[in-house]
Amino acid sequence: MTARTETSKRRPNVAALVIAAFLVVIAVVMLFDAARLADMGGYSGVGPASFPGVVAFALIGLAAWTVYDGIFGDFPAPEPQRVAPVVWIIIGLMLQLLLLNVAGFSIATGLMFACAARAFGKRNLALSIPIGIALSFAVWAVFSQILMLNLPTGPLEHLFVAGR
Amino acid sequence: MDAFYFLMDGLATAAQPMLLVYALIGVTLGTAVGVLPGIGPALTVALLLPVTYRLDPTGSLIMFAGIYYGGMYGGSTTSILLNTPGESASIITALEGNKMARKGRGGPALATAAIGSFVAGLIATLALAFLAPWIVKVALIFGPREYFALMVLAFVTVSAAFGDSTLRGLVSLFLGLALACIGIDQLSGQARLSFGVPEMLDGIEVTTLAVAMFAIGEAMAVAGRVGTEDDSVIAVKGSVWMSREDWKRSWKPWLRGTATGFPIGAMPAGGAEIGTFLSYATEKKLTKHPEEFGHGAIEGVAGPEAANNASAAGTLVPLLTLGLPTTATAAIMLAGFQQFGLQPGPLLFATNPTLVWGLIASLLIANAMLLVLNLPLIGLWVKLLTIPKPWLYAGILLFATLGTIGANPSSVELGMLLAFGVLGYVMRLYGYPIAPIVIGLILGPMAEQQLRRALSISQGDWTTLIQSPVAAGLLAVAALALIIPMILRARGKGAVLSQMAADED
Amino acid sequence: MKSLVLATLLAGAVALPALADYTIIAPANPGGGWDQTARTMQTVMQEEGISPRTQVQNVPGAGGTIGLAQFASQNSGNGEALIVGGYVMVGAILTNNSPVSLQDVTPIARLTGEYEAIVVPAASPIQDMQGLVDAMRADPGAVSWAGGSAGGADHIAVGLIAQEAGVDPTKINYIAYSGGGEALAALLGNQVTAGMSSLGEMEAQIEAGTLRLLAVSSPERIEGVDAPTLIETGLDVELQNWRMVAAPPGLSDEQRAKIDADIEKMVKSDAWQQQLADKGWADTYLAGEEFDAQLAADIASTEEILRQIGLVK
Repeated sequence: MTARTETSKRRPNVAALVIAAFLVVIAVVMLFDAARLADMGGYSGVGPASFPGVVAFALIGLAAWTVYDGIFGDFPAPEPQRVAPVVWIIIGLMLQLLLLNVAGFSIATGLMFACAARAFGKRNLALSIPIGIALSFAVWAVFSQILMLNLPTGPLEHLFVAGR
Repeated sequence: MDAFYFLMDGLATAAQPMLLVYALIGVTLGTAVGVLPGIGPALTVALLLPVTYRLDPTGSLIMFAGIYYGGMYGGSTTSILLNTPGESASIITALEGNKMARKGRGGPALATAAIGSFVAGLIATLALAFLAPWIVKVALIFGPREYFALMVLAFVTVSAAFGDSTLRGLVSLFLGLALACIGIDQLSGQARLSFGVPEMLDGIEVTTLAVAMFAIGEAMAVAGRVGTEDDSVIAVKGSVWMSREDWKRSWKPWLRGTATGFPIGAMPAGGAEIGTFLSYATEKKLTKHPEEFGHGAIEGVAGPEAANNASAAGTLVPLLTLGLPTTATAAIMLAGFQQFGLQPGPLLFATNPTLVWGLIASLLIANAMLLVLNLPLIGLWVKLLTIPKPWLYAGILLFATLGTIGANPSSVELGMLLAFGVLGYVMRLYGYPIAPIVIGLILGPMAEQQLRRALSISQGDWTTLIQSPVAAGLLAVAALALIIPMILRARGKGAVLSQMAADED
Repeated sequence: MKSLVLATLLAGAVALPALADYTIIAPANPGGGWDQTARTMQTVMQEEGISPRTQVQNVPGAGGTIGLAQFASQNSGNGEALIVGGYVMVGAILTNNSPVSLQDVTPIARLTGEYEAIVVPAASPIQDMQGLVDAMRADPGAVSWAGGSAGGADHIAVGLIAQEAGVDPTKINYIAYSGGGEALAALLGNQVTAGMSSLGEMEAQIEAGTLRLLAVSSPERIEGVDAPTLIETGLDVELQNWRMVAAPPGLSDEQRAKIDADIEKMVKSDAWQQQLADKGWADTYLAGEEFDAQLAADIASTEEILRQIGLVK
């Protein structure tokens, strides 16, 4: 499923350096946070700051290993990617996130559905948005009305259930 | 012999046609809600418990048993077909199960999961009926240091899911451990890494991370791959049913999975996931087809699925014998039992035999109903994969977010779903395995807390960790599991081993 | 078959009135005490026709403070929203520096409560409260206490006992477990010296003789429980781990009166009393100004002891 290795040339692999930097940033944030914690190890001698500290140093070690692999070893190069579909999925999820509590479950999720379908090549939004909303509404009806799951409501749902 | 008589009596009662219908409704409802990614058995049982109140005690008990087993089983279907684990105990199932589905062997994967769950449920429920008082004695030996040793053993097993690069496996694992630090530290009550965001005080929900990493990351990776614009579908190759070979390769993992899952489920702080990890690692070590692991080995589905369901019955051991609710699910069940006038505790088997055996009989019936419901559905489930990709993946995202929204409709939770989805995508892109990060999030807090409890009780004396024979034994097994492969590799058998550790994702 | 089942259920759902009345927020995950309280209220309100279509919504997190914050900000002036809470919330608001406190909602009534029980494993050499106190005075570190989450009712009770016994509360060896079940398992497995948990959770074990009950935290002896109160043993500690129901801020007087009346009707109903009996919960109903006074006193004493244990700066 993932990209397979084509042993890269003897040239620092940029991705490896970026990943290593990412790991170091996480480690620094953890150490910074751990330093802030009061030592409440009590009788165990191992306090709340100990475990994050160990993990942070391990991450720094792994970052160093990643840099080494990026320069001398075989760090995998990813398969070429198409950016647009991935962006469509992210847009869909963000729309859902923003609209969920305003427009209700069906409309927000329906739009996300259409964006996801768009990412996989269904370009006709005029078709996929209604399909998405209808499907989401059916799902909402089954899970919130029969199976008592609490799902956010919006204008569409209020047509069928008294809103508040 | 008394016990046997009571059980037969209970079974005879439960076999009335109307009660069978209740059992079927129970497993159907339980599966329907449990199948949602992000909604585990605890929430499923909590949501559906009121449904059972409308019936008479026998009827509600049996429907309740159905909901419980249905909810426990529900997660595996989405794990196998859609690479979207329904709850933490079916994460491991996704590793091999989804690979099988992609090769057109979704039918046998679902079948081995369903039959394995049935076999495990049957054996474990019988063990619950006849061995519970002894098992619980063993389970109580486990204190903090024994649990810590068990966690160390579980950590060793994570390497089975590392794929072809130790470095990338470790990075993934430690990212998981870093995420595990977020939230209120249970032992000191201090907030760690939550940056003043109240929603982060309770840490990262395992199901949120798993759903994001598996389902959303996967959808992005598939969408982004060049050459997927067509509407091609995954063809179902061969029979939907298990072949002779499949049966031959499945039955031992079922039994081993049951033997692993049941006792760990019975331990007060065991947890269903640990059993699935250990089972997966065991099957990977014992298999005659190591080359298939990571590419859809049926043993990797059969074992963990059996372990998962066996632990569901195991959870009932401390609940019925001691009145100890050791999981959220068990706590809700305790409330449910009280509704039936059943007060779990050390005297339950003696004071209330009819209800206890009625419950056990109900569990057996529900277990059988689960098989009756799921085997015929396999053909239908597999057809799901013939849905054209745009609709299939849009649908996966719909159900993945539905689970999260239903469990906790907060924007922070959805934001995390999106952020972890992107992380999962990037990790896939660069060949980082997904399972270790989730396993790290599950095991990290358990290992940390048990270690600190053990040291607190011993007042800082580290030798306490090897002073108990059980803990020392578990640590020794873990050490052997780490060292033996190294020795073998040094003796030139490295080729076989690296083959065994062939890539996973 | 499946469609038939769904159809039957659909018919059932449609037959119910479509109007939702109260929505009860349970600021915890399913399974805990607050969730069970909310779901019991739901059952009784429906049975008694107080609110035919009550909904329960779980907003878990951080000792209930996340649910409380969301409830206070989203429901101002809403006469159909309720939240369940309890004593643990008082501590959690302090330890988490929660921006929203109980002053930001309208507490309606205390519904039920449980007293704490101090137990030791049956095999323990400690026979009574005096023995336990002596052991703590001799070496507080050697007495490990199993109980619920850090800063919760169990932890506070241990802190109060230490303080009364003249032991430095910061020196107690308190081992926090995630739930009553796990702490109980540690006691049964003889992993710890003593345990602190609600009496209800321990009762079955005490009856079976696997745990020895040393004392309870009630003001007076509890009927049917063979143990002294802490006060009798010379430690002036009284603690009730209560659960309450609260309404949103900004209610009109009519709205407030309606909720007060509905809750009173629920509490006085036979169905509620039956549920309490089934679950072994004590009826500690307290409403109005008496409840407000009790709440203020609890908040003050909790803040003091949490400061002494070192959980609140």
